[in-house]
Formats: sequence, structure tokens, C-alpha cells
Amino acid sequence: MKIAVCVKQVPDSETRINLAAPAAELDQSGFTRVLNPYDAYAVEEAIKIKEAGAEIEVTAITIGPDTVKETLKKDCLAVGCDKAVIINDPALDGADESALATVLTAALGRDSYDLILFGIKAIDDDSGQIGIMVAEKMGLPHVSTITHLEMAEGSLTAHREIEGGKEVVTASLPAVLTCQKGLNEPRLPSLPNIMKAGMKPMETLTCADLGIEVPASLVEIKLYSPPPSRAECKLVEAEEPAAAAKELARLLHEEAKVI
Amino acid sequence: MADYKGVDFYRFSRNLSDEERSVRDTVRQFVENRFMPQVRQHFKAGTFPTELIGELGSLGLLGSSIKGPGCPGLSGTMYGIICEELERGDSGLRSFASVQGSLVMWPIANYGTEEQKERWLPDLAAGKKVGCFGLTEANHGSDPGGMETRAARDGDDWIINGSKLWITNANLADVAMVWARTEKGVSGFLVERGMEGFSTNPIHGKYSLRASDTGELVFDDVRVPDSNRLPDAIGLKAPLNCLNQARYGIAWGVVGAAADCYDTALRYAGEREQFGKPIASFQLVQQKLVHMLTEITKAQGLCLQMGRLKDDGINPTPIVSLAKRNNVAMALDCARTARDILGAAGITDEFSPGRHMVNLESVITYEGTHDVHTLIVGADITGIPAFR
Repeated sequence: MKIAVCVKQVPDSETRINLAAPAAELDQSGFTRVLNPYDAYAVEEAIKIKEAGAEIEVTAITIGPDTVKETLKKDCLAVGCDKAVIINDPALDGADESALATVLTAALGRDSYDLILFGIKAIDDDSGQIGIMVAEKMGLPHVSTITHLEMAEGSLTAHREIEGGKEVVTASLPAVLTCQKGLNEPRLPSLPNIMKAGMKPMETLTCADLGIEVPASLVEIKLYSPPPSRAECKLVEAEEPAAAAKELARLLHEEAKVI
Repeated sequence: MADYKGVDFYRFSRNLSDEERSVRDTVRQFVENRFMPQVRQHFKAGTFPTELIGELGSLGLLGSSIKGPGCPGLSGTMYGIICEELERGDSGLRSFASVQGSLVMWPIANYGTEEQKERWLPDLAAGKKVGCFGLTEANHGSDPGGMETRAARDGDDWIINGSKLWITNANLADVAMVWARTEKGVSGFLVERGMEGFSTNPIHGKYSLRASDTGELVFDDVRVPDSNRLPDAIGLKAPLNCLNQARYGIAWGVVGAAADCYDTALRYAGEREQFGKPIASFQLVQQKLVHMLTEITKAQGLCLQMGRLKDDGINPTPIVSLAKRNNVAMALDCARTARDILGAAGITDEFSPGRHMVNLESVITYEGTHDVHTLIVGADITGIPAFR
């Protein structure tokens, strides 16, 4: 059995964001980067399935720059994933969900996975679309927002969170799942395993390596800054309208210098 | 309160490898999730969280840099990083790991037989067994050479008589690494729980290291087979070398305690308002915070260089003594300053600096007092030992 876990490295939720100037690009150089917390549930579930069975291989797949390696090693390979695939292509900077789902579909298509796991969403853009898009593009059944999973021969039963209750869904394999908090308690890697993680295979690919064109993005993110604040309003107060008018005329002449 | 994120003003983490940063983050998360929720309760009750011992072992935090069967085999720098993160939680937690690793596993790995290593190291590394280290006696602290505990040869065995005091993990220990005087000088023995005549007693009424087990070891005609003697530990140099390993970990560890105090004081100063503004806006408070940060940053530089030297095989006593001496005094000063910034709130157990402060009063004394380390460095630079 082969399991793929698609993960994303995100800024730590307590990262301090500094905007150097009103219209400047977001300075991300000082960001601490961690594994998306929802993806940790996906990784843990894959490892639990691996530990409960025999001859199960778990591959972690991500799209991102070279800096994702540290997260992949610590939070995927050191806790039990067998190998990692990184799609590192500068042309994907700023790519939208649809484009990234196309890339992941191509990466997942290189092997035949029985189970593909995602976190329900990434905590940076909070979109929660990619797992389901990948399932659609691959023509696979998907169950989203799962909080419980049971594997059987050729099928699975998952509990998914719905408003006011839970839904129990059975699906055939291969299938795509997105994992919600409550599914499991992600383990910490042991320190000796952190050391060994660097020796596990880690492959870096571009879109060209996957045999695809860089997919076009439909969504463009623009940065807007709040307009500069207006000068303070001065209210002319006087008992008599005539006195107020006189004071206003004086202010317009002496202070604003417009008449 | 938001999670602790460490103090790294000079970006030392840039000089760490991916693996070193991962080790730091993993231990930090363990301390935050598993230890912090219960430290107040254990400190109050005067108990060590024994249910965490197995987890410490399975994560690889016990004897982490020791090379031997079942041992994690990490670098010296990583051992330091682990100590820093553990002591950010509490000096008692770091003390447990220091004793188990540097004072029990280290001598077995360096002075023991293959049988002793196979028998003890895997279980000690996994946290399935606990060890303690018996050198200090009631009447012999800074001068262990005066020890009164004796081991006399009797056929294939040794008969040990005497007692040891101020022993961390004494009452939890399955095995005690005991140093006793023989006719040929000081030797080290593995005394096991259950051996006839061997007993341990807790020390009550501690102000300090309350979340740590401290006690007395008593030997009343304890018969120990010669196979429990460490054959390569010859003379007082052997236990002193163990202490050098442990002090290395202390020098790192207390930086974690200091950083926790600074972090707590900085957050508090930003939230606490007096005279209509946060107390962090007052010059005197800023001066205190900057002083703490400066001293912590200097200590971090010292530790990282000491770690790199150790990993190159350079770990002489005076280098470790200078760092232990400086960093513990620095951390104690930070704890007192943080307590001061916290005002009245600082005297309750709702905040950590008061707890770190009383803990560090032990740390500045144990494993070579501040003054003894002064004289070790003094002897090294002048060539004239002041304590003989």
C-alpha cells in the first residue's frame, strides 16, 4: 500500500509581521516556518496506518522553496514518512489553488497511491480548496474534514464533521481525505530519528520534471494599503451663527489660506 | 499567555544546523505541552513528574550525547540545546536529565565494562531505569577528596559503608553510581536498589528544586560484587570528569531559565499599566530588560562556542567552569530582576521567575559552587591553585 501526504510549510501563527512601508511587499525574511498544523494530523494518520499494517510506504509531497526541507525532515521524515518529494519551481510563486492542484495532481500521478491525505486547510491563506480540487482532477472519491478513520481491504470509513453532528462516509480506495483537528494527536519526532531523517530520500522536482507546463493562475493577489488618514476636523463653535461665520472666514483666511 | 518562542536576539539559530534547530523545537514543544501544564503542581507538592521519564527516554533526551548501546548518540551541542530547553521549564527537569545522562550513563559508557554497558545503558537511555550519582557527603561538599564512605575488599565482593547527601534522584533511582574510598584510592560502584543494607531517604523542607527528587543514600555493610565496580574509574579524577560533563549541561541549561524569566518579564511589562501607560515605557524598566537580554545573549555565545569546541574534542575543565560560573550567576540575576519587574505578582507561583530564582540558588551551589569555579579558572590562568 502506498500513502501520499500533501503538506505545506506555513509561517508560525505567532510570527510578527513587519510592514516596512505602507505599500511595501510583505517582508517574510524573519518568519519562523512550521508545518501547517492541520497537515500534522494527516501525517500522523498516515504513520498510524503504516504502523498498523505491513509494507506500507508513506511519501510526503510539498510545493515550496528550498527552506521546506527543514520542516519535511523534522515533521514528516523524522516521525515516520519514508520519503519526500519537493516541487520547487520559482515559476509557481504566487500560484493560485487551481494551479497548485494541477501541479500536485501531476506529482501524485507519478506513482499509484491508495490513499492521499491533506490537512483541511493551510493556516496562512485558509482557503481549504486544494485537497478537494486534487480529488476532482484525479477523478477520485474524497471525504473532507475527517475526525475518525477506519481502514479496510480496498475501502475506508471516515467520520466527517458537519454542523451539529457527524456524517459517516464509506469510500473505495484510492481516495482523498482532508484531516481535521480531533483525528489524532500528532507525535513529536524522537531526536535520533531527527538525525536519521536526513538520510531518507528527498527528491526535488520542477514543473518541467513533472512533464507539465507551469499552469496559469486565475487568481491574482494584490496588496492594498489603507488610505492615509485625513487631517483632524476642526469644528467652529459659537453661540451666534454670525460669530461662527466670522470665525470660519478668519480660519479660512489665516490658517487654511484659501481666501 | 502565548507560547514561549525562545530568546535569540543575535540570530544564533542561523549558526545551527537544520537538525539542531529541529532538536531545539522538538524539546521546546515537549516542555510546553507536557511539562509546563503540571510544573506548578509538582513544585508545590515537592514531587518530580515521574510519568514523564519514559517520554524523556523515547524522545532521546536521556544521555543524548553518549555513545553506547541504546544511546541516542547526538552531538555535544545538541546535548546543550536540550538542557537549555529543559531548564526553560524548570531546573529540576534539567537536573533529572543531567544526572541520568552525564553522571550515571557517562561514567558507565567511559569507565564501565562491556557487560555493564549492555546491562544498564539501553534501559537508562529509554527511561526504563533511573540512576543517581553519589559523591557529595554531609561533611564533604567542595572537597570530595575528604570522603568518608569506604569500600573494603571481601573475597570477590566489596563491602560499602557510609552515606551520601544532597543526591538528585536518590529516591527514584534503580541504580546509584557511588564513589567510595578503597585502599587504592577512590573507586566507582554501581549499587542497586534492593541490595541489602542500601537505603535512601528523602530530604524534606526544600525551598529550591522542589520539582526534583533529592535525598540521602545510606550504606550499611552493603555487599557489592566486583562486577559492579567500574574498572577504568581510577581515583578522584573519574567523578570529577563526570561533573565536567554535567556542568557543561548546566552552563547551557541555565540560559533557558534566564530566557524564560526575560520572556515573562518582557510580556508582563508590556501589559502592566501604571501611571496610565505600560511599565515597559519607563526608562528604568527598559534598562532592566536590556540588561537581561544583553547578559543572556553573551551567555548564548559562550555556550555555542563551548559546544562547538566540545564537538571538536576540546572540553577542558576551566572552559566549562568559566561558563558554569558566569551563566548560573547571570541566570540568578535575571530571575531576581524579572521578579522585580513583576512586582507583587512575582512572588506568586502564577509566574515562573520566582520558581527559577529559588531553583537557581541550588544550581549556583551544586556541581561546584560559584566560588570553586572561580578558583578553578584562577588556578588555570595563574598556575597557582588557591584551594590546596
